[in-house]
Amino acid sequence: MSWIPHKPGWIAGRSRKDAELEEEIRFHLEEEARQAASGGLTAEQAQWAARRELGNVALVMEDTRAAWGWTPLERLWQDVRYALRMLRRNPGFAAAAVLSLALGIGANTAIFSLLNAVVLRMLPVAEARQLVQFTNTIPLWETGSAYARNLFGYPQLERFQARATTLAGIVGGTGLGRLNVGFHGNSALADGDACTGNFFSVLGLTPQYGRFFRPEEDRADASVAVLADSYWRSRFGANPAIVGGAITIDRIPFTVVGIAPRDFAGLSVGSGPDVWVPLHALDRLQPGGKRWTEPFLSWMWMAGRLRAGVARERAQAEMDVLRRQFLTEQLAVSAIGGMANVRHFVRDGHLVLRPAATGVASGLRERYAFPLQLLMWVAGTVLLIACANLANLLLARASQRRREIAVRMAIGASRGRLVRQLLTESLVLAALGGALAVPLAWWGGSLMVRMISAGETPAPVAVDPDWRVLAFTAAIALLTGILFGLAPALRATSVDPAPAMKEGTHRAGRRSHTMDRLLVVVQVALSVVLISGAGLFVRTLHKLWTVDMGYHRENVLLFSVDAKLAGYPTDRAGAVYRQILDKLQTLPGVQSASASVVRPQDDEFRLEDRVDQVDGRTLPEPDAIHVAWNSTSPGYFSTVMTPLVAGRDFAPRDRVSAPPVVIVNQSLARRAFPNANPLGHQLGEATVIGMVKDARYGGAREGPAPVLYYPLFQHGPEQEFGWGFVSFELRYGARSNLLDEARRAVASVDPNLPVFRARTLVEQAEQALLTERLLATLSSFFGALAVVLACVGLYGLMACAVARRSGEIGIRLALGARPGHIVRMVLGETLSLTLAGIAAGIPLALWSARFAKSVLFGIGPTDPFAIAGAVVILIGVAAVAAYVPARRALSIDPGVAVRCE
Amino acid sequence: MKIAPASRLELLQGTLDLLILRTLQTGKSHGHAIAKQIRRTSEELLRVETGSLYPALHRLEARGWIAAEWEPAESGKRAKYYRLTAKGRKQLQAEQTKWETFSRAMGLVLQPLNEEPV
Repeated sequence: MSWIPHKPGWIAGRSRKDAELEEEIRFHLEEEARQAASGGLTAEQAQWAARRELGNVALVMEDTRAAWGWTPLERLWQDVRYALRMLRRNPGFAAAAVLSLALGIGANTAIFSLLNAVVLRMLPVAEARQLVQFTNTIPLWETGSAYARNLFGYPQLERFQARATTLAGIVGGTGLGRLNVGFHGNSALADGDACTGNFFSVLGLTPQYGRFFRPEEDRADASVAVLADSYWRSRFGANPAIVGGAITIDRIPFTVVGIAPRDFAGLSVGSGPDVWVPLHALDRLQPGGKRWTEPFLSWMWMAGRLRAGVARERAQAEMDVLRRQFLTEQLAVSAIGGMANVRHFVRDGHLVLRPAATGVASGLRERYAFPLQLLMWVAGTVLLIACANLANLLLARASQRRREIAVRMAIGASRGRLVRQLLTESLVLAALGGALAVPLAWWGGSLMVRMISAGETPAPVAVDPDWRVLAFTAAIALLTGILFGLAPALRATSVDPAPAMKEGTHRAGRRSHTMDRLLVVVQVALSVVLISGAGLFVRTLHKLWTVDMGYHRENVLLFSVDAKLAGYPTDRAGAVYRQILDKLQTLPGVQSASASVVRPQDDEFRLEDRVDQVDGRTLPEPDAIHVAWNSTSPGYFSTVMTPLVAGRDFAPRDRVSAPPVVIVNQSLARRAFPNANPLGHQLGEATVIGMVKDARYGGAREGPAPVLYYPLFQHGPEQEFGWGFVSFELRYGARSNLLDEARRAVASVDPNLPVFRARTLVEQAEQALLTERLLATLSSFFGALAVVLACVGLYGLMACAVARRSGEIGIRLALGARPGHIVRMVLGETLSLTLAGIAAGIPLALWSARFAKSVLFGIGPTDPFAIAGAVVILIGVAAVAAYVPARRALSIDPGVAVRCE
Repeated sequence: MKIAPASRLELLQGTLDLLILRTLQTGKSHGHAIAKQIRRTSEELLRVETGSLYPALHRLEARGWIAAEWEPAESGKRAKYYRLTAKGRKQLQAEQTKWETFSRAMGLVLQPLNEEPV
């Protein structure tokens, strides 16, 4: 009994009151009997007369207690205690029920906590609902459909800040990518953001220590920095003394002025920076360019805070007008104002303010919002199956408890009271399951965060259960408790006490078995949906993995180096990269080495451009060829094994002083030079010297598309290595210690050059499929859970049926039925239920698969293999579930069975 | 079959309260004696159902109109004696006035002093 909680104090006081009431009633009875006896009745007759006069003692006491006023709470307490006692008497049932609920609720909570962290959670800033993100929507040349860009030029920010009347504050910023943060002579990489000086004050944040930027500190010689809480903890041991201390960022001195609040990780989910610097620090960190003056150079995101009481639509109307006025003025001034696409952008584009209460646009959110919603449905279906399973167990128990219920009704319990008590039992189960689900979900949630984290460190997504997650768990626990408990409770109490008590056996009405069967059929049907869904995702992942990428994944090591991080100006970066490449080529075990700006299946970079000059002929704007581009060193194609179809690879002689050259892929050649050999033709200023086989640039989902390759050491300096870092590719025979040797090679060029993004091409490709892997893994897990639950459901039903029909089976055996016949009977029934479930499940599966269409690849939502797989698995499950009951049916002793009947 | 307490009390509620309060005006008494007293003084016309009496007593106690103490009864056993509180006395007056008005009104309608043809 020790695990059943003791009565709280107010209930203990209550029991004294109960005893007094009992005494009061007893006194009444005695007094009545005494007076009746004095009227001439015998003592016994008098007692009976008194009892008759009083009526149902229990009922009188119950009614009187009701007058005390606090009974609902007391009844609940009673019911909970009773429920716990019932569960203790059936530990097997209790454990099975709580565990399956914990898994079901836990799965939902885990997915929800991730969905909450990635999509739903409000930013921890003052009045988050007032925040909006600035977005440009521009109709595409090609399709006319609008697409959105979140980047703006700095002059626009200045104009908006000066003129806006509907916004209380406008902030802007840009990611700095990897920074080399030095502290006391140690340097390590960190992620940085540059933001306007008013960033923190517009958000209404208060620093944990120190202060935030002052507006006047946002200038070219800015040298102040604010640290994120997580970075401050991991790098500086949460030491407040760091405030006021000196650090270096890319070898430039900065002073730490403050620590951001603990729960603030930037405005964009999943990409929380480690350090913030004022926007104009860009002049020291990434000098050059026309970023402060060119209005059509879009590079910074912008967000604003609506003035109190101003509707978003009103502010948007004002900003759209301001944008158009300003950009139209600038068309006349800007050097690129005459370009057709710039004019198109000004004329046909609009400014939209998007609600940003939950953060500004986030790649993580964009990537995972839909898969997580899908998984939420999947997890919800698993919970439904678990509910059906439990409802079935409770139904079976309800027929066992018919006698108990009948007795309780006979002595005056109302049906409502009994239903409430039975429901309390279900809710206690659900509450236990829910309580166990929370730690399970926490663990599962962080596991999933690790699964979706692309880099070396987990994505900064906080999945700790907040009030919203806990409320969600409590709500679904309550809902499931009612869902699986109500029907059994209603049925258990729909008994006529007299015959039920007389019967003595645990026999339930005919109609009840229909409900049991229906529940099992529902379970099987939902399992079909889950298993075939899992099949779709697994097959998608397989198709994506086996698609011909146009290069060979095996035996390639990748890593990146950024000369800027070691303090090199852009004009010296090229030489550093060339030196590193030379060293790498001589490493033992390396068959070939190369460098490129974009690596295969890059998760950080995508470079796009429009080619509008072919052989000196200018293409009209709508016909310009949309290309993805890359800059590669000599040897890139042989390293990743993309075959050169015609012409030659880049060579060392293709340097800055040499005539510009390019290599095209087959798709680009077909687009630019239909039915012609591309070699020797001109694209822009450059001559085509080679053609390579199509390789998928962005990932497996992309079809072959035009790609343009520039020579890294010719084109890079011209671009001032503006993209930042360079990726190296090493094709190796044997891999042992290769990365260490590569690090040593880089260090021998300059020990201050950090090496990052080191992984094999196989790992890189796996990371590109994280979403698909998450979907495939989790849906398989949930599918397996569904199979187990369906198996338990079928088994339970058949075991009950065999137990119930043991008399009949015994007679059949006694009359000479062959064992095979009995087995066929059990198997046949199981199979027919399963087939009914499958028949109902297939259309449901086909219908629901349509919603997942956008994440499938290489197969349609009606993939026959997925459905067939589900059918085979479930028929197998049915056979397993029927095996034990069938064996039990055979072992029935006819004599015993018949006598018991 | 159980009858919900509400439906049974409905008939007597208010009236029973008034009867109890009035009975206690003459002095403290226990439940059984109260029932007896009501029956006797109403010339056996009103039978108080025990099933309603105790809930009513406890309800009045919860409202603070009557208070209870345990004291030895005539039989020697201890019994729960109820007495009217000051609050209860006020309530009794109000209820009594209301009842008298109601009863007078009913009387006037049912047996008018000077009936006129309609």
